This record gives sequence, C-alpha cells and structure tokens, in this order.
Amino acid sequence: MLPLAHFEYLAPTEAVEASRLLASPDARLVAGGTDLLVSMKHRLFEPRLLVSARRIAEMQGIVPAAGWLSIGASCTLRDVSRHGIVQQRLPALAAACRTVATPTIQAMATLGGNLMLDTRCMYYNQPAGWRASLGYCLKREGSVCHVAPKGRGCYATQAADTVPALWLLGAEAEFVSVSGTRRIRVSDLYREDGMNWLTVRPDEVLTRIHVPLEDRSVAHRKLRTRQAIDYAQVLVAVAAPAQRGEPWSAVVSSVAPRPILVESETAEGLAELSFRGSQPLSTHLASAPWRKKMVRVEVARAVDALLRSHAGSG
Amino acid sequence: MSDEVVLTVQVNGERVRRLIPASRTLLDLLREDLRLTGSKHGCDVGDCGACTVRVDGLPRLACITLAAEVQGASVQTIEGCGSKEAYIVDALDKHVASQCGYCTPGIVLCLASLFDDQADADEAAIREALGSNICRCTGYTKILAAAREAAASRSSA
Ligand SMILES: Cc1cc2nc3c(=O)[nH]c(=O)nc-3n(C[C@H](O)[C@H](O)[C@H](O)COP(=O)(O)OP(=O)(O)OC[C@H]3O[C@@H](n4cnc5c(N)ncnc54)[C@H](O)[C@@H]3O)c2cc1C
Ligand code: SF4
Ligand code: FES
Ligand code: FES
Repeated sequence: MLPLAHFEYLAPTEAVEASRLLASPDARLVAGGTDLLVSMKHRLFEPRLLVSARRIAEMQGIVPAAGWLSIGASCTLRDVSRHGIVQQRLPALAAACRTVATPTIQAMATLGGNLMLDTRCMYYNQPAGWRASLGYCLKREGSVCHVAPKGRGCYATQAADTVPALWLLGAEAEFVSVSGTRRIRVSDLYREDGMNWLTVRPDEVLTRIHVPLEDRSVAHRKLRTRQAIDYAQVLVAVAAPAQRGEPWSAVVSSVAPRPILVESETAEGLAELSFRGSQPLSTHLASAPWRKKMVRVEVARAVDALLRSHAGSG
Repeated sequence: MSDEVVLTVQVNGERVRRLIPASRTLLDLLREDLRLTGSKHGCDVGDCGACTVRVDGLPRLACITLAAEVQGASVQTIEGCGSKEAYIVDALDKHVASQCGYCTPGIVLCLASLFDDQADADEAAIREALGSNICRCTGYTKILAAAREAAASRSSA
C-alpha cells in the first residue's frame, strides 16, 4: 500500500475561487486525479491543499459556438471521444482520447488534465523508495540529471496524447485566474524545460478548450509497446495543407519537454524532416536510435492515412 | 479545518454517511472502513485494474480515486453484483477464467459496464475494454472466451 500524505480539500463552485486557492504554495487542482494521485503516492509532490474541479460548472459540457467547439476542461476523455461533433468533425481528437491509457482511465481522466499533464521521465515517475535508492534527480531534490549527467537541464518529456492533434487543429485553451481570463494557443502552452514546462502560472485554471471546426485533415498516431496502459514511445499528429501553397505539418511529441513542430513543402519530405528534427532519449523499453527511426515511420504512416482518405473522398 | 470530509454515497444500494480524512482513497474506504474486501489492492497506482468498481455505472479505479471525489454518487463493488451480473460470473466460471482470482472482481465490473453500454460489444470492443485489466495467471485466452460467451448470452437475452 502506498498511503497518501494528509492534505486539506476544498471543492469551490467557481474557477476564479479555485484560482484564489491555488495561489497559495503547495496547492494543486484535482480533476480526474489519474496522474495527480499516482504522483502523490510516489511522493513526487505533497500538496497541503487539493482544490477539486468537481463542482465548477464552467469547466463542464461540450457546446458548439460560431465555428468552434467549446469543450469543458472537466469533460472526460470518454465523453469527448464519444461526442457526435468530435467524431464527425474532429476524428483525430477522438482517436487521441482513445489511445490514452485504458478505457477505464479514459472514463476518469479529463481533457484539461491531459493538457496540463506533468512531463515524464523513467527516473522521476517512480516510487519514493526507488528514487531514494538511486539518488534524487534535478527535477526533485537532487543535483544531477540521470539522463544527461553533464547537462544542466531536465529532459522529462511531454507525453500527453491529445496535445499533437489539438495543436494542429488550432485549439486554444482558456484560463481563468484572479487576474482575469485569457486564451492561449495549445501550440504556445509548452516550454523547452522538463521542470518548468508550462507557459501558464500554477494559479491559472484551464476552464475550456476551444477547437475550430474547420475540417482540417489531421491524423493522430501513437507508437507504444502494448496497445493498452502504456505511454507513447513516439506520438505524432500530421496535418495536410488546408489550402494550396501551405506546407504539410507534423507535431512530434513524447520525445522532448516541448512538442516539435515540423513543416515541409511536400508530403514526401515531412517524414525525413521530422526524423532529423527529433532527438529522443533511450527509455527502459526502447533505445534512442529505434525511437528516432520510428518518428520517420509514424509520420510517413500518418501522411499515408491522410493521402488515402483524400483519395477516397475526392 | 478542511482535512476531513463528510461523505455521503450509495454503496451497493445502501446509503453510507461518514466523516473521513480527505486523503482517504475510495479503495481504502471500501476495504478498510466498510470491510468490502472484494475490490483488490493490486498495484495501487492505476496500472492493473484489480480495484475497478463502478461509479454511477462507469468503471473507475478506486486506488486512484479520492473518496471525497465521489460525493453523492452511487458505487457498485463486486459485493453488489447479483443476478444482473450472473451471466458474466457464470461465463468466467464455466471457462475457468479465474485462477488466483485477484483480477476477477475488476474484470466482472469492467465487463458489466461494457455490456450495459454496448449490448452487442464485438471482439474489438471486448479486447479494448479488457485492456484496462491485468491478469497474471490465465494468459487472457479463457477470460476472452468467457467475455465472448457473456456477450452472446446477453445479446440473445
Ligand atoms: C496507468 C496509467 C497510464 C496512463 N497512460 C497515459 C497515456 O498513455 N497518455 C496520456 O496522455 N496520459 C496517460 N496517463 C495520465 C493521465 O491519465 C492522463 O494524462 C489524464 O488525461 C490526466 O487527466 P486527469 O483529469 O486525471 O488529471 P489530474 O491527474 O487530475 O491532473 C493532472 C495535472 O494537471 C493539473 N490540472 C488538471 N486539470 C487542470 C485544469 N483544468 N487547470 C489547471 N490544471 C489542471 C493537476 O493539478 C495536475 O497537476 C496515464 C495514467 C495512468 C495511471
Ligand atoms: S530528465 Fe529530468 S526528471 Fe529525468 S532524471 Fe533528468 S532531471 Fe530528473
Ligand atoms: S490497484 Fe488500482 S489499478 Fe492496480
Ligand atoms: S486469475 Fe490470477 S491475476 Fe487473474
């Protein structure tokens, strides 16, 4: 048994009240709890206050509005992937929700929690005893990085399944805090630092995810060891040009703290450019050179899928 | 001040009202406080599915759910399974799909929620749903056979 340390718990009804509570150090928002509770059991952090999103109405519901789909951050991945408009107009998002963990976890986990997911590393996401035996790392309490001992940074990876698809669909995230409301493109949400990976403050509450309903052709692919439970070894989304003259684009993730955007004039060139632009590290399940090669393969497969669906529809 | 919560939930149809520490997981509430030990402690961190229960009909991992987060909800554990779920339990029994039995309660609740949602669940749907539950004994073949039979008996019922 991995007991949780004690904490206080509050369930406000408004996002701005949640933000006020999150301004205190050691406070965390709990949405589905599927990553937060695991991290707390592993003592990656020990919040003194948990603020529940459970009763906040403005974080719920899926509603179309003026060419956009507005998805409440508290909607579960199961609800998002089953929504009629998501299935018809945003199939890459539906597919991405369905590759997260397992169906049971998809019924608990929220889309907001997926966008805000902590970066991951095989030396960090481990039980407290495991980390103590090896010696702590930079991301928590230690002074070295076990992945790159000579480096100064943390390379823990952005591993959230829905991020590449939402990025290429042009999604925007709406945040509420005591200082007001702002919208940030999903493509502007992440930083190149595994310890400090978000461009928003800890007291900003993600309330809604707005996705334009533009019928962009986007394909999502996830490479993993088992077809359930596992995080990605390589995560990619590819978008076909919306108009003549625009480039093909790929977002490659799960290989660095920040997803990588790659653009190519031609469909054929995209896979090679993505391969050259990614520097994955070795994990306990897969070597770095194999993961790098698989970036090329997965991007090529996504491009193929889009070309085939175009040929089919046109 | 707020490190305790007054929790009101339905567990297997009975109303439960308790003062609990905010840090209580749903699994510990069930096993330690209510002595419903059918839901198992496997990995304790969301990997294995041995702790699967249903909350308002949907599957949920009790080990990574705070009891406080199911305030007002209706929880079903294996102890609350009866004639309605008998077709699943009987199929597992018939195919000897349970050896040590540790994964079985979670599998019953996972399948019950699948079939309630999709009476005509096909092979792909069954495999996808059972991806949530790890079994270290059976090798899955028997569990899949039992699930197929349960699906067939359900859709013909
Ligand atoms: C066995 C297992 C396998 C997994 N596999 C995958 C996988 O393959 N792919 C994947 O992407 N994820 C995976 N996960 C992680 C997790 O389940 C998902 O990322 C999930 O979407 C997180 O959402 P949540 O609602 O549970 O977030 P929580 O755990 O509640 O929160 C996660 C973090 O985000 C913050 N947060 C949550 N919501 C908000 C908000 N609205 N505003 C501000 N901050 C917020 C929390 O404070 C916390 O720091 C896995 C988890 C487990 C246990
Ligand atoms: S990459 Fe980050 S989390 Fe991983 S060992 Fe280095 S410092 Fe720690
Ligand atoms: S005990 Fe809950 S998932 Fe393993
Ligand atoms: S029967 Fe032993 S774990 Fe499944």
